[in-house]
Amino acid sequence: VVLRRPSLARYDATVAREKSSVGREALAYADALYNLARHLTGNATDADDLLQETYARALGAADGFVPTGTLRAWLFRILRNTFIDGYRRRRHDPARPGMDADATEDAAEMPREDFDSDQLRAVVGTEIEQALQALTEDARAVILLDLEGMTAVEVAEVMGCAVGTVKSRLTRARAALRSRLHEYARKQ
Amino acid sequence: MTCAEIREHLLEYQRKQLAESLRVEVDQHLASCADCRHWAEGERATTDLLERRLPRYSAPLELKRRLEARWAPSAVPRWRWARAIVPLAAAATLVAGGTFFWQRHADRVDANRLVAEAANDHLRVLYSEHPLDIPSGGIHQVKPWFQGRLDFVPVVAFDGDADFMLQGGAVGYFIDRKAAVLVYKRRLHTISLMIVRADGLPWPTHDLQRMGRLKARVERSRGFSVVLWRDGELGYALASDLNAAELLDLGAKIAGP
Repeated sequence: VVLRRPSLARYDATVAREKSSVGREALAYADALYNLARHLTGNATDADDLLQETYARALGAADGFVPTGTLRAWLFRILRNTFIDGYRRRRHDPARPGMDADATEDAAEMPREDFDSDQLRAVVGTEIEQALQALTEDARAVILLDLEGMTAVEVAEVMGCAVGTVKSRLTRARAALRSRLHEYARKQ
Repeated sequence: MTCAEIREHLLEYQRKQLAESLRVEVDQHLASCADCRHWAEGERATTDLLERRLPRYSAPLELKRRLEARWAPSAVPRWRWARAIVPLAAAATLVAGGTFFWQRHADRVDANRLVAEAANDHLRVLYSEHPLDIPSGGIHQVKPWFQGRLDFVPVVAFDGDADFMLQGGAVGYFIDRKAAVLVYKRRLHTISLMIVRADGLPWPTHDLQRMGRLKARVERSRGFSVVLWRDGELGYALASDLNAAELLDLGAKIAGP
């Protein structure tokens, strides 16, 4: 016991310091993660829970785990996975609209855009948010990750897809968003 | 390039991130294609709206403080050297013994992460109203269902039997990666099996128990038995309220002869 204690104590202290250090670095992304959580869940309460569960999953056990990509992409990936897990649990809850409801439409061929871009600029923030909410989770996530300034490699890591497909997904997602924004613009 | 290919490059073009040769090609295409020019205007308007008008939410301060207190405490207890002063004669033994216990302890701490995740995933199966994406008509029906849904083939050598009846499968998430989730029943007990790519996760290498042709770590978490093992490129986690011996029995069947 006498021999063992110093080694364990030193390991625990090292782990605690590393964990605290990774924790501090990870917490620097709290706002960015919360922003995605808020747009994915659509409300503050679920976004709070999602952010807490994300950190619990990412930093839940003291260890020296090092993500293969960037810490930022790893955290966003865990947040998205956690959201999808939660969705899968309640997907038959009629009070929660399905995130795959519009998948077919968002995945469709790129539409011909015959609307005026100046009209689009007239829509307001809440309408953009509603239009975003109407997209599939996949489309919403890729738009928001790109907006976050992530590289295609990081977005691919978060989305679990090939780097080569990120551009096409993003292009289609933004086209689907534009189409919905145009509906708001037309009403004005 | 086709119009579709040009459109996939437009964002980078507008952000001035395209290589020179591609930029020239997009320039030339836009000069001659009204549809793509119109699309480019739409992209610019979309960027303006997203960057200027889409509400951006910050985590509430109270939530951030709570997270900070939990995950990044500023004061870290330090090992007190004074307590470690031992006779010089014991120094060599201290190094050897310390290394041994350090590795064992590190291994256990690392495994806790996987154990906690396995218990969480099992709870998700238990609490989910519809935990299965594919109800079982046997392993030969369940395994092909995973094709195209995972970037690996879940290797399972056990079809299920009267003792361990295969209920079906689903795609789940294990920490940072996709997992094949198989659900078995033994009497009234539910058993979750998570199969993932093993790379990058700290699979236990110490304190293993014999499990058929392999060895596995047996742990308990929140009343659940959890069995972890690695077999080549894949990692496996079994979780249930069954006792560990029964899970090891199932694990041996899953690993195969």
